[in-house]
Amino acid sequence: MLNRWKASIFLTAILFILIGAVPGGAQARGAPATSNIPRMLDGKPNFTGLWQALGTADWDIRDHSAAPGPFYQLGATGAMPAGQGIVDGGEIPYTQAAADKQKENYRDRLKLDPEVKCYMPGIPRANYMPFPFQIVQSQRDIAFAYEYATSNRVVNMGKFKEGAVDTWMGTSNGKWEGDTLVVDVSSLNGNSWFDRAGNFQTENTHIVERFTLADADHINYEATIDDKTIYTRPWKISTVLYRRKEKGAQLNEFKCVEFSEELIYGDLKKK
Amino acid sequence: MKYPILIAIALLSATISLEAQQKAPAAGVKTAAAPPAKGYVTPKTPWGDPDIQGTWTSDDCIGTPLNRPANLGNKAFYTEQELAQREGQLARQAAADSQEFAPTDARVGTGPPSHWAERARRPCKQTSLVVDPPNGRTPDMLPEARSRHVPEGAGNNNPKADSWEDFSYYIRCISRGVTGSILPVIYGNGQQIVQGKGYVMILQEMVHEARVIPLDNRPHESSNIRSYMGDARGHWDGNTLVVETTNFLNGKNGIGLNGGGTPTTDALKLTERYTRTDPNTLQYEVTVDDPKTYVQPFKVAFPLTQEPGYENFEYACHEGNYAMFDSLSGARAQERAAAEAAKKK
Repeated sequence: MLNRWKASIFLTAILFILIGAVPGGAQARGAPATSNIPRMLDGKPNFTGLWQALGTADWDIRDHSAAPGPFYQLGATGAMPAGQGIVDGGEIPYTQAAADKQKENYRDRLKLDPEVKCYMPGIPRANYMPFPFQIVQSQRDIAFAYEYATSNRVVNMGKFKEGAVDTWMGTSNGKWEGDTLVVDVSSLNGNSWFDRAGNFQTENTHIVERFTLADADHINYEATIDDKTIYTRPWKISTVLYRRKEKGAQLNEFKCVEFSEELIYGDLKKK
Repeated sequence: MKYPILIAIALLSATISLEAQQKAPAAGVKTAAAPPAKGYVTPKTPWGDPDIQGTWTSDDCIGTPLNRPANLGNKAFYTEQELAQREGQLARQAAADSQEFAPTDARVGTGPPSHWAERARRPCKQTSLVVDPPNGRTPDMLPEARSRHVPEGAGNNNPKADSWEDFSYYIRCISRGVTGSILPVIYGNGQQIVQGKGYVMILQEMVHEARVIPLDNRPHESSNIRSYMGDARGHWDGNTLVVETTNFLNGKNGIGLNGGGTPTTDALKLTERYTRTDPNTLQYEVTVDDPKTYVQPFKVAFPLTQEPGYENFEYACHEGNYAMFDSLSGARAQERAAAEAAKKK
């Protein structure tokens, strides 16, 4: 009996390997990882490089039509482009109260959106803002430097470490599942938004990100977001990160604090 | 007491530097800036670069002044006896820091409790952070540099708070610049180094800087692209990481602690050298060359160490910059009160 069990588990495992699937639907969206990807000397995928998302998720992670911006003076340059969302299934499963709060956030976004004030973007927002980010992968930990607001994080690949305090960028613990880098993000301070549309998280939000190289220049990026206080079930976003390949492309500096000071402190200036 | 927070910070730094100059004993002292351990072999990354990864701190030289007191002349290092005195002083400080409550008869100010600050774990051998020229002092400034405006909180002792622009780039939570982000101060001295093939990243705790340093000999960016932290390029000289940084913005931070002092110019070039001299020591050296500010280049050097349990924390400075709100709103409130008082006369 025991042997038959073992044999059937073994055969099932072989079958999954042959068809390239992983039980539980945890596989990243898009093409399965190929052998044609950069690797570390120990065989792990190597994510070192300059990456950036395309698309309009920075405006709204849900499907959205084009819309005017808040200032007519900016004309067409201030308007929101239409775009496909990155939320699997299209809708974020907010509780009723949370759905109302998102609408309020959107209405008061110029006052409330942390991006407007140059606050750190949090996770996952940092990954699909219209700015590049640099990954430097060592034989141990993996560092992310985001151009927006000089925000950054180091993914701890050692023994799982609880965050000592809640922070904007959270505490990132990584592990490998085959060729996928799985990053558990916790101890978020709950002040971050997902986009400029007021989609939000709380200090109870727990995020699990999955980075899978589809080929040398594309990462399939997924994040599962769970927070029983505002969502009725866990939900998922999926997008693609592209390697920046222009000649001389590198991370530049966007220290936006000085672009936000008039907005934040303007009424306290000596008249 | 117009600016209690700023004053508290200033007092605390002053106390620390005073203590660094006074204080007392012990023998057979283990010092910072020890010479390279004999026979030490720098570890290598799997791809063959010297491995200098870890979280390093400049804590051990907290309180060591940038400029050597003139009366010490060319004396670059303390004597064994003086170092023993300093070790005793550090031990007493540690004992004081471990007190959970202030004594009932203690004078208590608006400053933070003493355990709030980072401390040296062993005495710094050096009498100054400037190591060249031999007098341990920054060279003379050019006449045009001497008249350059220094913002509040960065060496100017006459605070005014008409606008956020009156404050230093550090107080504004923008940046302390390259040297300001590694020179030892009262807290947040962490430097986490992560290496990948072709890159070194140095993550600095205070104002959450992340310097990305490519090692592939690419040329500097266009001189039209300028920044607070500059454009860094690295290479290995034996086991030493050499980082050359240019493309700085003009007239922002100075070379002093926290980016204080006379602002440097767009001609600034920094050449840093990071050398691991034993498993837990990384010797740091930077040559400062700004021909529009100083009459000659000079060198600053000090050891960084790895300490058990020491790690970088997220320094959400701008996100919690109540000092700026309070300084500006306090100044406006004083103006309103003065205007009211004038009306009554």
